[in-house]
Amino acid sequence: MTALLQVNNLTKQFGHDAKALSDVGFSVQEGEFVSIIGPSGAGKSTLLRCINRMVDATSGEIMFDGVNVLNLKKKELKKVRTKIGMIFQHYNLVNRLTVIENTLHGKLGCKSTLSGVLGLYNREEKEQAMHILGLLGLDDFIYKRADQLSGGQKQRVGISRALIQNPRMLLCDEPIASLDPNSAKVIMDYLKNISVNMGITVLVNLHQVDVALKYSDKIIGINGGQVVFIGAPKHMTRADIQRIYGSEAEDLIFDAGGIHAG
Amino acid sequence: MEVNEQISAQRQLLKTRPHNRMKVKPLTKSAFVTRITLFSLAVLTIYAFFTFDYKDIDFVDAVLLTIANLKAMFFEPHLKHFTFSHAFYQVFVTLGLAFLTTLFGAVIAVFLGLFAAENLSSKWISTMIKGFVAFIRAVPTVLWVLIFAVAAGLGSVAAVIGMTFHSVSYLIKAYSESFEELDKGVIEALQASGASFWQIVFQAVIPSSITYMISWTFLRFEINFAVAVAMGAAAGAGGIGFDMFMASGFYLDIREIGAITYFILAVAILLEVFATKVKRKLKVNA
Repeated sequence: MTALLQVNNLTKQFGHDAKALSDVGFSVQEGEFVSIIGPSGAGKSTLLRCINRMVDATSGEIMFDGVNVLNLKKKELKKVRTKIGMIFQHYNLVNRLTVIENTLHGKLGCKSTLSGVLGLYNREEKEQAMHILGLLGLDDFIYKRADQLSGGQKQRVGISRALIQNPRMLLCDEPIASLDPNSAKVIMDYLKNISVNMGITVLVNLHQVDVALKYSDKIIGINGGQVVFIGAPKHMTRADIQRIYGSEAEDLIFDAGGIHAG
Repeated sequence: MEVNEQISAQRQLLKTRPHNRMKVKPLTKSAFVTRITLFSLAVLTIYAFFTFDYKDIDFVDAVLLTIANLKAMFFEPHLKHFTFSHAFYQVFVTLGLAFLTTLFGAVIAVFLGLFAAENLSSKWISTMIKGFVAFIRAVPTVLWVLIFAVAAGLGSVAAVIGMTFHSVSYLIKAYSESFEELDKGVIEALQASGASFWQIVFQAVIPSSITYMISWTFLRFEINFAVAVAMGAAAGAGGIGFDMFMASGFYLDIREIGAITYFILAVAILLEVFATKVKRKLKVNA
């Protein structure tokens, strides 16, 4: 197994003194399920967005599949982005369009500008969309408008849109933060499934320590823009959680029981 | 214990409440200025009525004559210098002028509106376009037509250019604001999957704001119809407005003006009814 993603000395600076990320480094293997946890404002979202250059890092190196993402020109960047799917907390679907149209949006990156503009998709792409929607249990909603769906269903459409890209990696920015516990579990199960069965690397930002402990192969803990923990869930101790969340950790007792259970 | 403390705290509050009248609206500086302005306007108005130069007009006479005129205009309308079919045709000329300028305006405004929307273009370009467009809007349409008449000569060409000019600036503001309604995250999501700018525009931005765009465009069409009537008279652009100008300024036929007014009113009502229907339909789908 080789590292699909290798991040070295990544630094992101907003303005003059606000450092969102400082000297971040880690590696992710192909097919791994990695969670990034940390308090709000620790730089989790920024880190994720640096990887597909939605945010430009100040310095450092991000090797994805053998290329340094930070040096890419516009056209090559687009090509890399087609290989990385992204899932968002607020789903970010086009509400007025149908589920299948939203799913097919994932294909825009590898289409010519004109056919993308006109929304012309070939039979193969449509069949793939149907297939993926079927996998995510959305058969009955194919022609429903996105704004008629529940949160969990919307997020599944978000996952479909990412999957139709045939990605090597999924970046999930707090995918379950706005969902109820039931839908959250469904979504996490799907993500885990994708990582295990399709061999797609999954990188998830999470708020919930217990969820991270349960699903991840590897956990990256961030605090104040710095990596303070990298390791398997079973190596995570109470002290580690305290380091990640600072003094707030006192209130996080609820997951203490889960640490060595999994 | 805690509950008791809360209750006693509330009692304290009740006791210390002052006994004078309670004000719902505090007298702030802006409220004060508003009141002063309204008051001085009222005083000025009353003062003006006493100091007008009435010449030798008898007020009652003047009112009666005006009513007689209005009666002639609206209760005894007739067409003397134009036939019914001619007037009907001229209404379509005016409608055509309104339609053409709205269409030109809409097409140009869609593209410029994209660059004027802050979420789709850079802050700098957006501010520049919006500022420029605000300047164009500040000058009335009629003035733009007259300005272009310097180059194109008074007539339909100047009217089309001038009205298009103003429609563009109006619609850019309307469109760019509806584009800005779109959540930044949606654009981000498509960018992250490698979609290009124009793909994002046609697959996400326009589908999301199409109902706003249609209703704004229709509103502009109604405005343009009214302006087109005025342009017929003021800039010789033809259409029903020109006939009205002839009826009043040339033939001095007040009954004919009444007939033409009815024509314009009928079209305006039809447009309004149609617009309401379209908007209701859009709302159902929204």
